[in-house]
Amino acid sequence: MRPIEKIQQIPDVAAKVGEFTLPEVLAISASREVRNDDIVFAGTGLPMIGILTAQCLHAPSSVLIYEAGIMDGKSMHIPGSVSDARACYMSSTLGGLLDTFGFYLQRGLVTLGFLGGASIDQYGGVNVTCIGDYYTPENRLTGSGGNADIGTQSKRVVFIMLQEKRRFVEKNEYTTTPGWYGYEWPSGKWTRKKEIYKNTRFENYGPAAVISNMGVYRFDDNGIMYLETYHPGVTTEKIKDNCSFKLNVSKVKGETPHPTYKQLFALREYVDPERLFLPDPPDYPPDVKKIINSFS
Amino acid sequence: MAKIMSLGEAVRTFMHDGICMAVGGFTGFVRDPVAFVWEAIRQGYKDIHYLGGHPGIPTFLLHAAKRITVMEHCWMGFGEMFGKLDVNSTRLYEEGKLIYEDYSHAQMAFRQLAGAIGAPFIATYAPLGSDIENPKYDALKKAGLRDGKNPRIAKEKFLVMDDPFYGKGKLILVPSSNPELAVIHAQTVGDMGTVRVRGVVSGDKELAFSADKLVVTCEEIVPEESLRMEPERNLIPFVKVDAIVEVPWGAHPSSCPYYYDYDSKFIAEQNVACRDEASMKKWMDEWVYGPKDWREYIGKLGAVKLLDLRAEQTTGYSTRIMRGRKPAPTLFKPVSWNR
Repeated sequence: MRPIEKIQQIPDVAAKVGEFTLPEVLAISASREVRNDDIVFAGTGLPMIGILTAQCLHAPSSVLIYEAGIMDGKSMHIPGSVSDARACYMSSTLGGLLDTFGFYLQRGLVTLGFLGGASIDQYGGVNVTCIGDYYTPENRLTGSGGNADIGTQSKRVVFIMLQEKRRFVEKNEYTTTPGWYGYEWPSGKWTRKKEIYKNTRFENYGPAAVISNMGVYRFDDNGIMYLETYHPGVTTEKIKDNCSFKLNVSKVKGETPHPTYKQLFALREYVDPERLFLPDPPDYPPDVKKIINSFS
Repeated sequence: MAKIMSLGEAVRTFMHDGICMAVGGFTGFVRDPVAFVWEAIRQGYKDIHYLGGHPGIPTFLLHAAKRITVMEHCWMGFGEMFGKLDVNSTRLYEEGKLIYEDYSHAQMAFRQLAGAIGAPFIATYAPLGSDIENPKYDALKKAGLRDGKNPRIAKEKFLVMDDPFYGKGKLILVPSSNPELAVIHAQTVGDMGTVRVRGVVSGDKELAFSADKLVVTCEEIVPEESLRMEPERNLIPFVKVDAIVEVPWGAHPSSCPYYYDYDSKFIAEQNVACRDEASMKKWMDEWVYGPKDWREYIGKLGAVKLLDLRAEQTTGYSTRIMRGRKPAPTLFKPVSWNR
């Protein structure tokens, strides 16, 4: 039986609390953001895992671009890097950085950018450069890599990150990747992205969602972040306590949908069966286990 | 025509203290020219101005040995999923021993392209609105290095201008990057110097053309004729290559697709070692200064490790190597393909 036929036999029913782990909630939430016609430019780790899961489920035709030069790789095994030969397998074309950052990204082909960040502001701007003063930081981080490029030139941008009070901030100490607001240079004026990118194709491109370990967020017409759903076991109060700007919680729809058994099966058995990234998952319930056992 | 050299000879010929250089590959994973940098560290070259190029392991080793004093780059990481942050570099930075200029990855790629095509600068949208363009954060200017005395350092980090031709908004002009020396690692090089790379290219072609001198290390030097039957598969013509060095396993612990996979356990060990200076020094003594030569370094890995790392010929990687907590599944078709 082909893997896809197995996946299709697993019930698409919400799993119960205790039957999944937090990284799985994040990966599945990420996968929900991917549409079947998306051309996705994704970073290493959770973003990549979310998209690979989507490709096993509702978005098999979504195209994945990996930074080092890979167009539409079809991985059998989870890549450990955006340059991994596993990511190159059966790709449409292989090139280099000019292909991905030039021909695809700056040319405007990318519909979804998928990134991480160390801290985020209320407009979806991200810091991956430094905590504290730029020249004498408490913590120097990796710096942009492709984050600033992908985060400003993809039609929709989704960030996946850890939520703590010091990571959800009014204003980033260093804005690596501007969200709906950024700096106009050389004046240094803090202004709307629309103004900064006026008359370019990127005027209306920007953050569409943030997925944290506590909830899922979206942006209103003014480019300000609001809470859409909270993850299982998390309250809006806890979320507000872990956010240092005044978070709009008036549009909350409820709990983030639990991952379904089908989604968990695809993620565990076909996206990261080597457990490069996922912690050891809890057991499937008996009825699902029975179906899985019937495969072998 | 390129000259065939030994590793030691190539390093002695092309390296010098204070050199402006960059090497090819991508993060800790693909065709990092590790052996060349390893030998350069052993020969003692220092005060390096590292200009672009996006490998992980070579810069990790150079920082561990404290050989880079000025760096223009976009990422202080090295091993992605197996060790994200290069603590050697951030430690030096936090101690004020490393002058580091932040660009974005697209900016560095375009700077190299400008260098490669002989243009002194290039225009890009990447990434308008960022603190990367904050004049306060121009580290080279702050250090007094943008005075025009060093021909490898641009007088400005960037300039912003309006599109004068089509009126399509504001653009950032970034200066070309033109290092004295570039080093890349390829699978095969012809005995005249024609370079063939398999798998993803990263920025190696632009890097090669942007530099004054180019050394190519490779898994095998092959008869030039064998590469000229299908020239469209070749990446760099022999005319740009100054020296060829045959170093089997010369990219370890990064991968050389179709020859060997990356050594994720080794990268993870480096990641642990770099967390404090004492353990980093111990690791360097064991793996960089200890072995008699590169052959002994590879021998030290052990035959079983090399067997597990050996790449499969259809995929270019290995499914025998344990990367996570469980072995790789046997699959012959991607799950998302042809459904």
